[in-house]
Amino acid sequence: MSFGAPAYLVVTAALVALAIWSLQRAARLRDARDRAFSDLAFLRRSLGGRDIVGTLIRAGWIVGVALVGLALARPHLTLPEPIHDGAVVLCIDTSGSMASTDIVPTRALAARAAAKKFIEEMSSGERVAIVAFSGAASLVQRLTARHAVAIAALDTLPAPNGPTAIGDAMALAGTLLGNHGPRTVVVVTDGVNNTGVDPFAAASSLGARGIVVDTVGIGTNSGALIPGTSEAAGIDTAALRSYARAGGGRFVRVENASALRGALGALGRVTAFRPTSVDVALASALCGALLLALCAFIAVGFGRIS
Amino acid sequence: MTLRDALLRGRNRPRIFGEGSPTTLRGDGYEFVQLRGYIAGDDTRRIDWAATARTGALQTRVMLEDIALVFAAISDPSLSMSLGRRRALIDAADDAVAAWFAASAGEDRVMAILPQGPVPERARAGRDGARLAREALRRQPAGDFDLHDALAIARAVLPRGAALLVATDAAAAERCDDEMLGETARTFDTTLALARDPWQEELPLVGLNRLVDAESGESFVRWFGSSEREAYRRASIEREEALQRRFRRLGWRTGIFEERDGAAALAEAFGIARGALP
Repeated sequence: MSFGAPAYLVVTAALVALAIWSLQRAARLRDARDRAFSDLAFLRRSLGGRDIVGTLIRAGWIVGVALVGLALARPHLTLPEPIHDGAVVLCIDTSGSMASTDIVPTRALAARAAAKKFIEEMSSGERVAIVAFSGAASLVQRLTARHAVAIAALDTLPAPNGPTAIGDAMALAGTLLGNHGPRTVVVVTDGVNNTGVDPFAAASSLGARGIVVDTVGIGTNSGALIPGTSEAAGIDTAALRSYARAGGGRFVRVENASALRGALGALGRVTAFRPTSVDVALASALCGALLLALCAFIAVGFGRIS
Repeated sequence: MTLRDALLRGRNRPRIFGEGSPTTLRGDGYEFVQLRGYIAGDDTRRIDWAATARTGALQTRVMLEDIALVFAAISDPSLSMSLGRRRALIDAADDAVAAWFAASAGEDRVMAILPQGPVPERARAGRDGARLAREALRRQPAGDFDLHDALAIARAVLPRGAALLVATDAAAAERCDDEMLGETARTFDTTLALARDPWQEELPLVGLNRLVDAESGESFVRWFGSSEREAYRRASIEREEALQRRFRRLGWRTGIFEERDGAAALAEAFGIARGALP
């Protein structure tokens, strides 16, 4: 005979021992002379109706038995597990429209601050790279696990200028990421792709490699012009949403600096954990057994035998 | 002062019958005790006219009677009296009954009132009578006890003015109605020996306990912690005090006894030294 989960044998033995002990002790208590009471009606009257501890003990017994029974069904919980071997590429738009001031102080500075928040939320050991893109994509920081270095690199982002090449940024990010482990590309942009490779194709390519693509669209539809031009600073939310869908990620639209900071912080936390299915049968059995033991001890452990 | 003397002098008898009065109904005595206000039914030959003139109200001379007393006793045989922490309360009640009957002397007679048994025989005299009456009480089968019924029997068989002792616990004493208690006290010289709750000082229950009523068999499960024990202690003391006040108001002497010494209740009730009891 062999056992798949021998730890349960310990739990079972403990429960059997507890049950025997409780039964014996309860029987001795029942036989004790003090158990017969001269005037039960008076006793009940003097104590009042509430029996909070007794009710809790009874509830504890029920919950304890339920937990032990639940363990037999081998329950699993989906829990977030910290990612320590993941890699994230932050692609930050530095096109001319990022100089718009509809987000205070400017879209570019707000994006930079939010990117710092993103990196701060990442798990230790998780690597991050930074790509800036306008007319073309350029590497600002290689993949590094030293988050302070990446945060410092954000200060070297180029000033807003030129068109928007979202697809080029995604393609460059794809070359930075390997083929193993949790990998994510986060694109922070305010504009419409107007140069370079097709972003949807790039996102699909990344998604096919198992790389998650998250897109963050920033800016308002206030009709503000791109500084120095007569062109309105627009945002193609449908396109950004489709990129995220192609990459199996999320699309977030933000219209102010604090929302941007919050959204990127949340994305940082999401990329730092992955959902993992955990077998909690043993934990359930142990919790149930402990609860039963506690209730039994309180119920009969303190009882005095005359 | 012996217990018999205390009875004759009406010691500690509630004032509604007049302080120092052994009884308002007995015959003449020889030893002057005191003057007190006239009570309807007093022998008019005992009115002290000089004192009446001085006070402006009728005054009766109370005489210490020189008569044979009747010592009667009721001992609660219920199952609740069979409980106790180290000794059953019924045994302690037997202490009180023994001391009560042993106080009889001379031509005094004794009688056991048996609420569950046959109609009592005539009161017996002498030491053998006291022994037999005590034995009869001790041999009572344990079972239901109704103080009201027991007092009704006593009123039917005892002569007026008899000294009646009732040894019982709070549960039975609480159930008896005021009318019966008052009528009995007006007919006899009544004394209650009340058993103290054995668990009054410390309820020996900790944790979750299932309790069974000794008499009804009813049970319930309840958690007992320090607050529950304290609540019970307070309630038990309050009940004991309330019962004593009630019985005194209705004309009874009262004394409390614990399981180790039942006769102590008589000493307390009559205000005499424990050593003066037989």
